[in-house]
Amino acid sequence: MAGIEIAQVVKAYGSVPVIHGIDLSVRDGEFVVLVGPSGCGKSTLLRMIAGLESVTGGTIRIGDRVVNDLPPRDRDIAMVFQDYALYPHRTVAENVGFGLRMRGVDAATIARKVNEAAEILQITHLLDRKPGQLSGGQRQRVAMGRAIVRDPKVFLFDEPLSNLDAQLRAEMRVEIKKLHQRFGTTIIYVTHDQVEAMTLADRIAILKAGHVEQFATPDEVYRQPRSTFVARFIGSPAMNIVPAKIVPDATTITLAGGASVAAPASFARARGRDVLLGLRAEHLRLAGAEGVPARTVIVEPLGSDTLALMQVGAVEMTGRFPPSAPLRAGGEVALGLDLDQAHLFDPETGLAIV
Amino acid sequence: MSDTIRHRLTPLEKSERRLGFAMLAPAFLLLAAVVLYPIVELIRNSFHFNHLAQPWMGTPFVGFENYVKALGDDRFHEAVLHTVLYVLVTVPGAVVIGLGLALLANQPFSVKWPVRLGLLLPWALPLVFAGLIFRWFFEYNQGIANAMLRGLGLEPLNWLTSPGLAFFAICLAIIWKSSSFVALVLLAGLQTIPKSFYEAAEVDGATKWQQFREITLPMLRPAIFVALIFRTITAIQTFDIPYAMTNGGPGNSTETLAMYIHKTTVDFLDLGYGSALAVLMFIVSAVITSVYLRHTRRDPGRH
Repeated sequence: MAGIEIAQVVKAYGSVPVIHGIDLSVRDGEFVVLVGPSGCGKSTLLRMIAGLESVTGGTIRIGDRVVNDLPPRDRDIAMVFQDYALYPHRTVAENVGFGLRMRGVDAATIARKVNEAAEILQITHLLDRKPGQLSGGQRQRVAMGRAIVRDPKVFLFDEPLSNLDAQLRAEMRVEIKKLHQRFGTTIIYVTHDQVEAMTLADRIAILKAGHVEQFATPDEVYRQPRSTFVARFIGSPAMNIVPAKIVPDATTITLAGGASVAAPASFARARGRDVLLGLRAEHLRLAGAEGVPARTVIVEPLGSDTLALMQVGAVEMTGRFPPSAPLRAGGEVALGLDLDQAHLFDPETGLAIV
Repeated sequence: MSDTIRHRLTPLEKSERRLGFAMLAPAFLLLAAVVLYPIVELIRNSFHFNHLAQPWMGTPFVGFENYVKALGDDRFHEAVLHTVLYVLVTVPGAVVIGLGLALLANQPFSVKWPVRLGLLLPWALPLVFAGLIFRWFFEYNQGIANAMLRGLGLEPLNWLTSPGLAFFAICLAIIWKSSSFVALVLLAGLQTIPKSFYEAAEVDGATKWQQFREITLPMLRPAIFVALIFRTITAIQTFDIPYAMTNGGPGNSTETLAMYIHKTTVDFLDLGYGSALAVLMFIVSAVITSVYLRHTRRDPGRH
């Protein structure tokens, strides 16, 4: 078991930089998820930790060893690949025991460890099959089995669930979380799915164009996004972010299109400024006559609650309402905005105004 | 298929089937004209006496006489033996060298085309040219082989005029010529192996040699079989290179079955006997190919 220290890490392909000086400190036993849109550098960073990509600048430390120049096999890590990388000509048992056999472990020990891992992952009945005979979820388990038999210091996961359908993905997410609770091994996990990030991580690193936008607990990135990028990326539906202006005495805020709403005292921090107002769907509600006039554009009933896209002046906002709410497309409503839950962002930099 | 329920074809299915046959007909007729007809004619010839130098004899039916003659023909036995030796040496030789070339060409070169071109050139070269080039290499006075021997202070060798050395030189030329084809087939096979297989092995602690043995070789098995089949069939038909390098000499020591058939029919004008020899060669080819094919079908490594 070990923590990971990533200091000023840079990656460039020729003269094209893809990672610009990332700092990340992963504690021993922590589950860290790297999340971001495609091309943000999350997989590259993971592959640098694994040793599959060279490090252009900075240092990567696993435990107390700088591993920049160590080959992958000497880093004491195990990795689960997106395509599982199971060898089609070998049985499940042989795939799971592959790493041990390559390291010259004796056959009896391999058999024992493979059986232990198979029991944990409930794949004992599959040990004699070939990967071609397994379903996607079963292959995923085998790939994890191959990682856990090695008993490494760190597990690396590269988008392990992206080839599974939604139901299996939810199932395997629980499975991975259980494994982490059982072994307590440090995990670095790459995904582009914010739900996976939120549900699995102790801390989430949100990457954008080769740098870390925010590195914090799921709760913190949800409640205190550092920028509009994080605010839009985390949470479903995405946070409403609309242009607005706070009057000089900070008593009201005017949305684009003219609607004026009384501002909470905390908005004094941005008095007299143009801002981007960020408001999550759950902070919209149906109000009485004192509410902001709005028109319902689209209603999406989800069963447990109902999402509705609202036209408020010149902007559109999505709200989350109880299923009993009297909503219909084209209807006029009065919206209550819980502005004390709102976020203010600088329209120039996109950073939160705090 | 026996458990599928046979049902009457609907009119639509019938007309589709007719269209299918109509579309296949031209290709079938062409193949019949250039493959089927000559083979039938060859087999018919092999049961007749047909010697162009003895036209007064006519072309009487002689039954198995030509085949019986082959059984007692020492030159035929020698030609078969030489052909078998060429197969045994050049097929594994070309596969081993071709595998090496394919692995080399599969490396992540920043500029790929010179490597690919170097791989393709020997393949694109006509066989007779390859034979002539190697004949010059092994020529006694000016050839590069003897020049190197002299450079090392050794005696030059009679490469193409002593039986063992001539066989060796011809094998070398055949392997050089055919390994590039094998390399192309294997390179295509190598490129179907996902990169993550090697990365996972790397993380799991496998050395490069272990990766080759555990991933590359087993994953390449189907491609190796394809290369083996093609290489064996062409090796059984070996003709051009020994023809250009030694013309079967010294004596008949490097003569292959294909060369003997050629001499019998074209030089000696004995069409009947030559046809019988060709049929025998055809049978040997077909038997070896079917053995390979059965093996690949049984191969559990395929998926």
